[in-house]
Amino acid sequence: MNRTIMTRRRVLMSTGAGATILCLPAIVKAAPPQVNIAFFLSTSPFMICKGQGWIEEAVKTKVNWIEVGSGAEINTGIAAGSMDLGYGIGSSPTAAGISQGIPYEVIAMMDNIGPAEEMTVRTSANIKTPGDFKGKKVATPFGSTSHFRLLGFLKTNNLTQRDVTVLDMRPDAMVAAWTRGDIDAGYVWSPAKSKLLAAGGAVFKTYDKLEAAGYVIADVIIARTPFATANPDIITAMLAAYGRSLDVYKSKPDDAASIVGKQAGVSAEVAKADMAEYDFVPLKTQLTPAWLGAPGTEGKFATVLKGTADFLVEQKSIRSAPAVAAFTKAINTSYLAKAVG
Amino acid sequence: MHARGPWIATVASIAILLGGWITLSWGGVVSDLFLPGPDELWDAIIDLLENGYKSRPLWQHIADSLFRVFAGFGTGAAVGTMLGLMMGYFPTVDALCEPFVEFLRPLPQLAYLVLLIIWLGIGETSKITLLFLAALPVSAVAARDGVRNVAVTRLLVAQSLGASRWQIFRHVVFPSALAEIFTGARLAVGIVYGTLIAAEIIAGNDGIGWMILDAGRFLRSDYVFVGILIIGLMGVVLDRLLLVIEARVVHWAGKQ
Repeated sequence: MNRTIMTRRRVLMSTGAGATILCLPAIVKAAPPQVNIAFFLSTSPFMICKGQGWIEEAVKTKVNWIEVGSGAEINTGIAAGSMDLGYGIGSSPTAAGISQGIPYEVIAMMDNIGPAEEMTVRTSANIKTPGDFKGKKVATPFGSTSHFRLLGFLKTNNLTQRDVTVLDMRPDAMVAAWTRGDIDAGYVWSPAKSKLLAAGGAVFKTYDKLEAAGYVIADVIIARTPFATANPDIITAMLAAYGRSLDVYKSKPDDAASIVGKQAGVSAEVAKADMAEYDFVPLKTQLTPAWLGAPGTEGKFATVLKGTADFLVEQKSIRSAPAVAAFTKAINTSYLAKAVG
Repeated sequence: MHARGPWIATVASIAILLGGWITLSWGGVVSDLFLPGPDELWDAIIDLLENGYKSRPLWQHIADSLFRVFAGFGTGAAVGTMLGLMMGYFPTVDALCEPFVEFLRPLPQLAYLVLLIIWLGIGETSKITLLFLAALPVSAVAARDGVRNVAVTRLLVAQSLGASRWQIFRHVVFPSALAEIFTGARLAVGIVYGTLIAAEIIAGNDGIGWMILDAGRFLRSDYVFVGILIIGLMGVVLDRLLLVIEARVVHWAGKQ
């Protein structure tokens, strides 16, 4: 019985000893106790490395997965220091975050969104030309890349928000409102987009002209700068794991679709069709000047971010945008170069 | 009715808060991303007054929100109070309605938000209905308890004087319950007010609640703070307004 008697001092001592033991590996290897990763539940090859546990293998510590519904949540999470990485954040929130001095850097791209986010119009609303949008109700999740494109569409067609009612709706609410016939059009991504199309919607193509006019939208991978600086090997390993996912997607698209579908909760066919709309830029291509550029050089993507930020300033969403050099600096491809290397 | 508290303490607490705010933001301890300084807040107020927020003047955002609060609270409190009076007066009505009122009362409004969109659409109807449903149960419970708490002696006196059921209700029960009805109304305004932001999530592009949400998305904490100030001050004014009305209507409350 004597063994079970714990005096207060003994409790304190053993706690202290336990704490020391727990702290030891941290002191020796300086590895983070856990990595907090924000992600979107979406149909993307990223879901392969997530689902197969490759990320856990790469970081070698516990991964705390945080599912988010918007890039704004990632900005807030990183600003508050509770997220270390964000997979799939849109270029629009990224441009806002960098402009506001949130300490993170773009470490790689995921995809060029292209036609994957597009305007869907109700067939019965009889919208054939941009002018037909006058007096109509268009919904989009505010602050998203789709919102950015929609505002770009209005601006390039000399329409104002007095001509067109632009409504702020989450994708699921948009589907509900569409079903009731409350909105005439929606600018959004799948699965909401596919549901609108299936329920009496048609694609109103805007992306080609908008891309030509500089309204390029993309999804990227960001890392909290202090975290990346302290753990370069982890970042490199994670990017390599994502590269393997892209390889699987390219070489075995059907296997990839079934893995991704299972993760995202849709059928393999839907996953395949959804992914086909995105341009998942290969890691090597990302290092060319057309995208992020090699380490130390300026890629075109910095200009895209700068243009996006300027537009957000014009919309009064953010206060000011820094010069293009600040965006070049916030794109750090050194990890990507190593991961490809 | 008000305890004349030491106002110096109030002034001091506000001064300490302002002092802390100025030191934290101007001292560079926290970035303006988290806490805008007084100068930035001032700039934001002027900017919003001059240019409005996202293609709408500021007063219109305020007016839209106030309209929703008044419409939702007005209808919810009126229907709730009538229902509560009946529940208190007729045990059968109470038995019929109680389960629903008690179920609705603690239910978070966000829980049925999507349902309201599906049923009522994205216009003002769904927003006001949400606020109506927030105000109704509190008002009903307050009115019912008000009726139940009427002193039995008063009822007996009125009865022995030969008053009819309607006369008793009109001249004894209703006036006695008024004090609690007003307490319920003040509670309801608070809840409706709290639900306003949730209501303005529905397909918003106007209202102070929506402005706070939208500015928060881009970490525009200066606009967020202005919105909070406006919504807070509006709440105090509304509450004071109810107090003034209460003091006029039920000036006898608490004086038996």
